[in-house]
Amino acid sequence: MLKLSLPLRLQLSLVIVVGAALLKHHAWYCLAAYGAIALLWAGLLRVPILKLGGLLGTELIFLSLLALPLGWERASFLLVRSLICLIAMNSFLLTLPPHSFGIALKSLPVPAPLKENLLLAGQYMEILLSEVTRMQRSAQLRGLNGTAGWLRYASASMIGALYLRSLDRAERVYAAMVTRGYNGQLPIDSAFRPKERFVLLTAWTIAACLTLTSYRI
Amino acid sequence: MHIPDGFVSPPVAAAAGLVSAAALFVAFRRSQEAFGIRRAPILGLTTAFIFAAQMINFPVAGGTSGHLLGGTLAAIVLGSPWAGTLSIATVLIIQAVLFADGGITALGANILNMAVIGVWVGWGLTQTLQRLFGGSKGRLPFAAGIAAGVSVVVAAIACAIELALSGTAPVAIVLPAMSGVHILIAIGEGLITGGVLNYLSTARPDLLPGEQHEFRGWSIPVVSIFLIAGVLSLFASAWPDGLEKVAQNAGFINLADRVRVIVPTPLANYGIEGLGTIGTSIAGLIGAAVCFAVAFGIAKVVKPKDA
Repeated sequence: MLKLSLPLRLQLSLVIVVGAALLKHHAWYCLAAYGAIALLWAGLLRVPILKLGGLLGTELIFLSLLALPLGWERASFLLVRSLICLIAMNSFLLTLPPHSFGIALKSLPVPAPLKENLLLAGQYMEILLSEVTRMQRSAQLRGLNGTAGWLRYASASMIGALYLRSLDRAERVYAAMVTRGYNGQLPIDSAFRPKERFVLLTAWTIAACLTLTSYRI
Repeated sequence: MHIPDGFVSPPVAAAAGLVSAAALFVAFRRSQEAFGIRRAPILGLTTAFIFAAQMINFPVAGGTSGHLLGGTLAAIVLGSPWAGTLSIATVLIIQAVLFADGGITALGANILNMAVIGVWVGWGLTQTLQRLFGGSKGRLPFAAGIAAGVSVVVAAIACAIELALSGTAPVAIVLPAMSGVHILIAIGEGLITGGVLNYLSTARPDLLPGEQHEFRGWSIPVVSIFLIAGVLSLFASAWPDGLEKVAQNAGFINLADRVRVIVPTPLANYGIEGLGTIGTSIAGLIGAAVCFAVAFGIAKVVKPKDA
């Protein structure tokens, strides 16, 4: 795997996403260039292809539902552009060491409360998923068959119960974090070194040139 | 309702982005208490919960699907619309940046529709309805369910207006389409919001806001309604509505005149015979008063006896 710091990996992924998102409509050549960069990025990060493929497939199904009613011409560009953005961000997420998203997040120039909320939401997502698994298991033990069976019986009370169970655990986790010295800020500093700054500046410049070119063609 | 990249024009995206940035700036300032030791897990978990809930799409008629917006639910559980705005905006940022659900260039518009308009309409309407229902805590899920449904439709209308201003689609097409589909989604939103709050009010009543004082601030909403009905109605378009226009073009507008049994309607065509434009204004005022009386009557009927 490429030896890059987490903040730099996040920022480089964002360069591809923001650059591609701002492209002019139907600028296919520039989009192809971003596509090549995104694939190169995925290769450099050595993302597991099967996992990436599965994730992209699921996400593209949802995107197709939105885009296809707009007609093939418009939808095809939107879908390809979304695919490129998804390759870049999923490659970053799938090669992220566990529990290190916060370190990468710290380098983003966004207000501190938003970062804290993003970090907590990310952490509590794991809690939420583990509570869903537990509730599914207990439902199956009571005779409901499989995930589909459980979902068929899911009601507002079950959603409420899931929220409360997760909240109880989230409060315990947060209390443990505070006891260990958490004050809303991560203790690890994620400032860029001069070499990393240069790499980032170069990446932003290339992206800006590519995106602006799409408006000139 | 997540607007993808390329749907809104740069001026509309920039204007929506500015309004959203200003709203988020105020929200950061006004929800500082949401980051304390007691409240931070609730904010973080509610954000994660809304994010997870938005991933589950439920089928809606016409081959489309919808999902929970959660703005009203977040604002009520967090006890503050500012914190609700922050929570939904965080969800939208995660979805746009990590999952390409909603465009990055349209992020401002999406935050404006769902995190600002959706949350504030839901919160404001919940407060008003709950007070109108007598302020009882037991009526909160009912009031919030209605408010959540209405907030989805209002957010969809805002989205349609942005798309129309961007030149993506004519307002006559996009407005009915968006509001029509979202009325169905609103039913799901209302049921889930009301159901979850009903459960929470039984299991953890401390999480929800307490009893409200009965609605006494009549003046502002009543004056606003009557200003709209009595004054702004004078500037209403005199053009025929959609059905009338179709009937005119297709040549069946005169069929209405052949009806043998004519039901007497005192305020036909929103006017009073012989009074001209003033008649429109008076008709508007009478209509608003009747609607208000009916709504007040329903509220009194559904109000619990102990409130």
